[in-house]
Amino acid sequence: MHHAVLSHFLLTGAVLFVLGLIGFLSRRNLIVMFLCTEMMFQGVVVTLGAFSRFHANDTGQTFVIFVLTIAAAEAALALGLVVLLFRRRGTLDVQAWGRLRG
Amino acid sequence: MTHMLDKIVTLWPEVALLVGACVCLAVGLSPRAGTRLLCAWVAGLSLVAAGGLLAFGVGQADQGLAAAAGTGMTGFVKAAIVGVGLLLLLVAASVPSELERDAPGGLVDGDGKFDPGSVMRGEFFAFFLFSLAGAMLCAGANDLVWLFLALELTSLPTYVLVATSRDRADAQESAVKYFFLGAMAAAVFLYGFTLIYGSTGLTNFDAIRAYVAAFADSGEPLAPLLRTGLILAILGVSFKIAAVPMHFYAADVYQGAATPVTAMLAFVPKTAGFVSLILLLSLVQPAGAEATRAVTWLLCLMAALTMTVGNVLGLLQHNVKRVLAYSSIAHSGYILVGLVGFTEAGSTALGNGTAAVLFYLVAYGLATVGAFAVLGCIGSRGDEAQTYDDLAGLGRRHPVLGAAMLISVLSLLGLPPMIGFIGKIYLFGSAIDRGYTLLVIIAVLNSAVSAVYYLRIAAACYFRDPAAETVSLAVPWRRAGAVLAAISALVLGVAGGRLVDAAHVATAGQAQAVAHVSSVAP
Amino acid sequence: MPSIPAADPFSHYAPIGVLLLMAAAFGLGNLLLTSIIGPSRHGKIKGMVYESGMNPIGSAKRRFNVRFYIVAMSFLVFDVEIVFLYPWAITFPSLAPDSELAPWFLGRMLFFVLTTLIAYAYAWRKGVFRYD
Repeated sequence: MHHAVLSHFLLTGAVLFVLGLIGFLSRRNLIVMFLCTEMMFQGVVVTLGAFSRFHANDTGQTFVIFVLTIAAAEAALALGLVVLLFRRRGTLDVQAWGRLRG
Repeated sequence: MTHMLDKIVTLWPEVALLVGACVCLAVGLSPRAGTRLLCAWVAGLSLVAAGGLLAFGVGQADQGLAAAAGTGMTGFVKAAIVGVGLLLLLVAASVPSELERDAPGGLVDGDGKFDPGSVMRGEFFAFFLFSLAGAMLCAGANDLVWLFLALELTSLPTYVLVATSRDRADAQESAVKYFFLGAMAAAVFLYGFTLIYGSTGLTNFDAIRAYVAAFADSGEPLAPLLRTGLILAILGVSFKIAAVPMHFYAADVYQGAATPVTAMLAFVPKTAGFVSLILLLSLVQPAGAEATRAVTWLLCLMAALTMTVGNVLGLLQHNVKRVLAYSSIAHSGYILVGLVGFTEAGSTALGNGTAAVLFYLVAYGLATVGAFAVLGCIGSRGDEAQTYDDLAGLGRRHPVLGAAMLISVLSLLGLPPMIGFIGKIYLFGSAIDRGYTLLVIIAVLNSAVSAVYYLRIAAACYFRDPAAETVSLAVPWRRAGAVLAAISALVLGVAGGRLVDAAHVATAGQAQAVAHVSSVAP
Repeated sequence: MPSIPAADPFSHYAPIGVLLLMAAAFGLGNLLLTSIIGPSRHGKIKGMVYESGMNPIGSAKRRFNVRFYIVAMSFLVFDVEIVFLYPWAITFPSLAPDSELAPWFLGRMLFFVLTTLIAYAYAWRKGVFRYD
């Protein structure tokens, strides 16, 4: 491993993305699930940054800034929803809800 | 530096909605309850302003959908969103009042002063307008970054609307479910966008199309990275349209949200999703049918599974909101039929799938909004009406509402005088024209299956004795919205030829473009 | 901008695989080793939050005022707005002093800051910054 090539960065991004996806599908705590979606976003950001360097244009980095903004907006929304739900339910375990079945 | 101003000029209708949303936020903070009531009027005014700008030809520039699917398409979709948006506003205008009636004491602080944190009327209408503006921005998108932001602008407000639309745990649970799956889906299509960018080094749609066309001309296959990115993007966007494999949230979320908000969920994000799908597919259209075989197969599979799953699960429900949710899933499947074979232009008038998709979105939107609006006009046991029993005898008690519900479900079913019939003919005809006969047979069989639950709704309205515990709510605007939606579904169905022609002229550019590409390719 | 080379033979994936294996083995190995050879003591003192520190007061599950979360949210959103200032701040000085683009550049950023200010005024009026 003398120098980093594109595939290293892509692999890092893909690993982050896939770990986030696996975590999202397997965890049952809302906060952890949200962290997993953030991890998926970070995987995307790493990939975008790598492609931006590879193509030697700035578009990818511009994209990264907007992705971070949306991620922050989603984080604020998630925090609000989680607080709302916790105050009503007293738990953040997804399996504790079953009202909407049928 | 007029580049940016050139872009803004094409976006005045969206700007009107965004300014209206900010005014709603400001008006909603007023300590006087009478002033806060103006929010709905501000929202209506900004929608009318956006519609007026579109009518005078502002904001219909040849970009986004127009470049992807023919001139006039951007304006058509934006006008459709504004039109159905006005209906949705009529239907949803009284939701904040219903919430305040649930918690009348929450308006005043401990020391008797007005607490701006306790009211949400302004936010409700502002988020409503933000979401509509996002869907309109999708139609004008000509860049991956733009499309991503527009899709998120459509979705993020809907999460809040669902959570705050009813003071029930159901609404909040379904909002959390909706939000988390939505965030996951957003990450998936964003990764797809990233791979498309990585494969081409471009984010501008025109540039990507030119790049793909150059590749196709040189006889090389589609880059695997580009194909993977496109497939991931399609899978992620399938959340917005509630198609398999991202459909499972729909029933719970549609049931949990207040019925008027459900009507909005069934139209606005779905329109944004289909517009994005058309845009994404147009990126690889120059590559030709052979190079995009995998994408076509994916679309076929999604269409067949989505309509079958939607209709079969719809049969098993007792809750009409859930039935309509599964009907909405099934309709996504039908609309997907119009997108398969996106690389070929049809040979006949029925052949243009993209136009059929956009026309059917209007047909589906009117009928679904009508059905949900009627449902929102009746209450049962201090809650909103949800079951078949709650609908019993509606046709005898309220002939107008009953007729509106009948027209809506018959249009969803696709019976002749309604707009849904023309929509389905057009949609399935385009697929037959392109040679996807088996898919159309599946779709027609599914339509037949769906008759069971649509007619069950109609039968509950007309052939059963009125239930004692159902009451009709005092929501004149919502009734007006329901009736208007039903009348539109009927009138546009009878006089639908003109609308079809309009959609057709709008897509004429696409046929030329494809003819051009195929004449260039050896 | 210097770009990343695309050299992409399969051999380049092998070190990453080894690295992943090593990382996983290290993590799992430590967990396993501590449970096998580590001494295990239980008790009241041992179970305290800070074993050798100050005694905790009250329960850690105490509810925070909900205002705390709202301020955290607004911080998060306004914090990210700063990110947009950086690329602008880097490109703006590179414009020629008498460039006719300069007013546009400044105007756009002022408009962006204005939208942020509107959001701030809204949050203020909404009572986000009140603690009572």
